[in-house]
Amino acid sequence: MGLADVPARGKTVERRGRTAEPPPDGSRPLPGWRRYWPMYTAVSPFFILFAVFGVFPVGFSVYLSFMSWDGIGETRSVGWDNFAYLVTDSDFWQSIGNTLIIWILSTVPMVFLALVIAYALHTTVRFKAFYRVAYFVPNITSIVAMTLVLGSVFSDSSGLLNSALRAISSGEVGWLSDPWAMKVSVAAITVWRWVGYNAIICLAGLQAISSDVFEAAKVDGADDRQTFFRITVPMLRPVILFVAVTSTIGGLQLFTEPQVLFPVDDNGNVGGPGGEATTIVLYLYQQAFVFNRFGYGAAVGWALFLLIAVFSVINWRLIGGGDEDVPGTGKRKGKSSAR
Amino acid sequence: MAVSRRRFLALGAGAAAGGFGPAGCGSQRSLGDPDEITLWTWDRSVSDELVTRAETKGIPGAQGLRLSRTNIGGHFNTKVRTALAGKSLVPDIIGINSDVATYFPNQDVFVDLNDFGAAELKDRYLDWKWNECVTPEGRMIAFPMDTGPTGLFYRADLLQEAGITTDPKELAARAPDWDGFITLGKELRKFQERAVICPNIRHVWSIRLGQLGSKFMTEDGRYIGDRDELREAFELAYRIGRDGLSAGAPEGSPDLYGVITSGRQPVGIGAVWWGLAFPESAAPKTKGTWRVADPPGGSGNVGGSFLAVTKYSKNPEAAYKFITWLQSPENQVKAFTEMSLFPSSPHSFTSPEMREPRPFYGGQRTIEVFGPSARQVRTVYKSPYDRVMDPVFAAELANVESGKNVDTAWRDTQNTIERELTREGAI
Repeated sequence: MGLADVPARGKTVERRGRTAEPPPDGSRPLPGWRRYWPMYTAVSPFFILFAVFGVFPVGFSVYLSFMSWDGIGETRSVGWDNFAYLVTDSDFWQSIGNTLIIWILSTVPMVFLALVIAYALHTTVRFKAFYRVAYFVPNITSIVAMTLVLGSVFSDSSGLLNSALRAISSGEVGWLSDPWAMKVSVAAITVWRWVGYNAIICLAGLQAISSDVFEAAKVDGADDRQTFFRITVPMLRPVILFVAVTSTIGGLQLFTEPQVLFPVDDNGNVGGPGGEATTIVLYLYQQAFVFNRFGYGAAVGWALFLLIAVFSVINWRLIGGGDEDVPGTGKRKGKSSAR
Repeated sequence: MAVSRRRFLALGAGAAAGGFGPAGCGSQRSLGDPDEITLWTWDRSVSDELVTRAETKGIPGAQGLRLSRTNIGGHFNTKVRTALAGKSLVPDIIGINSDVATYFPNQDVFVDLNDFGAAELKDRYLDWKWNECVTPEGRMIAFPMDTGPTGLFYRADLLQEAGITTDPKELAARAPDWDGFITLGKELRKFQERAVICPNIRHVWSIRLGQLGSKFMTEDGRYIGDRDELREAFELAYRIGRDGLSAGAPEGSPDLYGVITSGRQPVGIGAVWWGLAFPESAAPKTKGTWRVADPPGGSGNVGGSFLAVTKYSKNPEAAYKFITWLQSPENQVKAFTEMSLFPSSPHSFTSPEMREPRPFYGGQRTIEVFGPSARQVRTVYKSPYDRVMDPVFAAELANVESGKNVDTAWRDTQNTIERELTREGAI
């Protein structure tokens, strides 16, 4: 159906309505509504689905965060109790600490590696397409399957990594039991999964930089390292911002990797020994779906929302997201805030 | 393409009806067709063969009704709770794991099986298992499925090398209690430097807890998790770790299998299903070298499951007929031979199938260990708040294993539990 048909149909509707059955005074619908309802109906499926699966759950989670509910029985209003408890809940704070540590352990090396890989890809002459695909593959593999595989690599006494360490007699690391090593394991899996994705994003940014700049640098006698740190990185600032913001959001929502590496055990514990790999979302999951504290889980969810908002703003300020005039920036920012 | 307004409306209405109709909106409370009894279970929880028979040939004793089973993958509990919270399209029958007490506060969402004369069947099943189905108010909200009586599993070949007896009776006599078990472990160490007797110290705790006559709460809601008996169990776990008899393998990690396949853990206490989950599936090459003896410290139960009929059931009587048929002593034997689900009915123990020698255990009749073990398990009251308390003990023991002072850990456990129970409004 072409666009031109629509007003014509609208007119038909009006004419037919007038001739067939003149409405009584005062009860006549607005002409605008009558003219546009087919269009609104046509676009409505998205809004209906969004209302049912987007707006309603968000609203319901606000409602739940003020309730006490075990998932089956009656909900009981507890006012701000859930949030009051949250503030004093040492496990919650531990999970925030864990999440931030894992986030730093993963994001810093990841952004750096992504840049280096992107730069290498950018300057490589042969097999460009192959490398791009190769680096992107980890991102589309099943994260659960991969974490299971990597879990046996990290495994304390029978794992590949410790076998290798033993072979070169440098002792063992409790990858799945030592508080710091546990976080490193989770961070490593995150880096493995996301570094290629971010490298491709950086590569896109690199290719948007005019080759004049690089040529000028070459003429001025800059070597590869100087070009990378003085030209490439500063020119890529908007792309790095996008990578940093999405990594922040992703990092704060980290769930699958620690959940598969340190699954819920028979006792209902998650996040491994001492809860040292319990991320915020894992804690939310444990509270809501293992302990059936749905109200408290919702409160944790809102705390997480707040945290993500704060960190996104901090990122924005730190990396200087104010420069809207850099080509290509606007689009990326729009994308990042929608995520 | 021209679509008339009437046709457009009709299509829209049709789509809406198609989309929202089956969702019920309160119109249909129970899942499935009128002649269907719906059942939700997880993988390997019921005999597939028997269920298929009920699906194709109908439910025995319920004329014209068929069963429709859905195998729920992933997070079974979450899906069941979601269905129950929605109050519509709830299946007639659901499987419940060993955490049956979690449902006690919501006992009214289940049918009281006593209304259908369940009491008549009581003497067919193990007392302690039956009691777990009954809420403190006396409603029978669940029906017994399998159980998990414990035994002492051991590698006869490795014990022989160490000069230790391989006869189940003699071994059980050598390690009648935990101290004897620790001594046994120390002897093994002389021959095998890295030998351990448990995967981690939490395992010791959970097995020991399963042997005691009470858990954390009394039926009238009093907290008793701070008593000396539990403190001793807590310290027993610590001692085993201190003596280097624990592998320190985290729960759920591949190392749990590693210690078994490598032969590093030649002895271990576990429930019936442990044998299937660990040596039998992870170390098939050790077939014939394993044996089972009476567990040190007495019988206990770990795991096991139940079936419950929801109040939304369109035909609770037929549902009851089905579960009592599925879990009849004869059919529990079938479930055992098919998927190693250990019966909760002692009548099954004498059946020829259950008494058959088990090749994996060197031709031993393992029922001679697990049968008496299952009968000796004591009735323990499990409270709805166990799901909150269990993890606290377990987490602190994991901390102890990585070096935390045991007294501090015990104190922290008690403080955390007090906080959690206050928060739940339990004390």
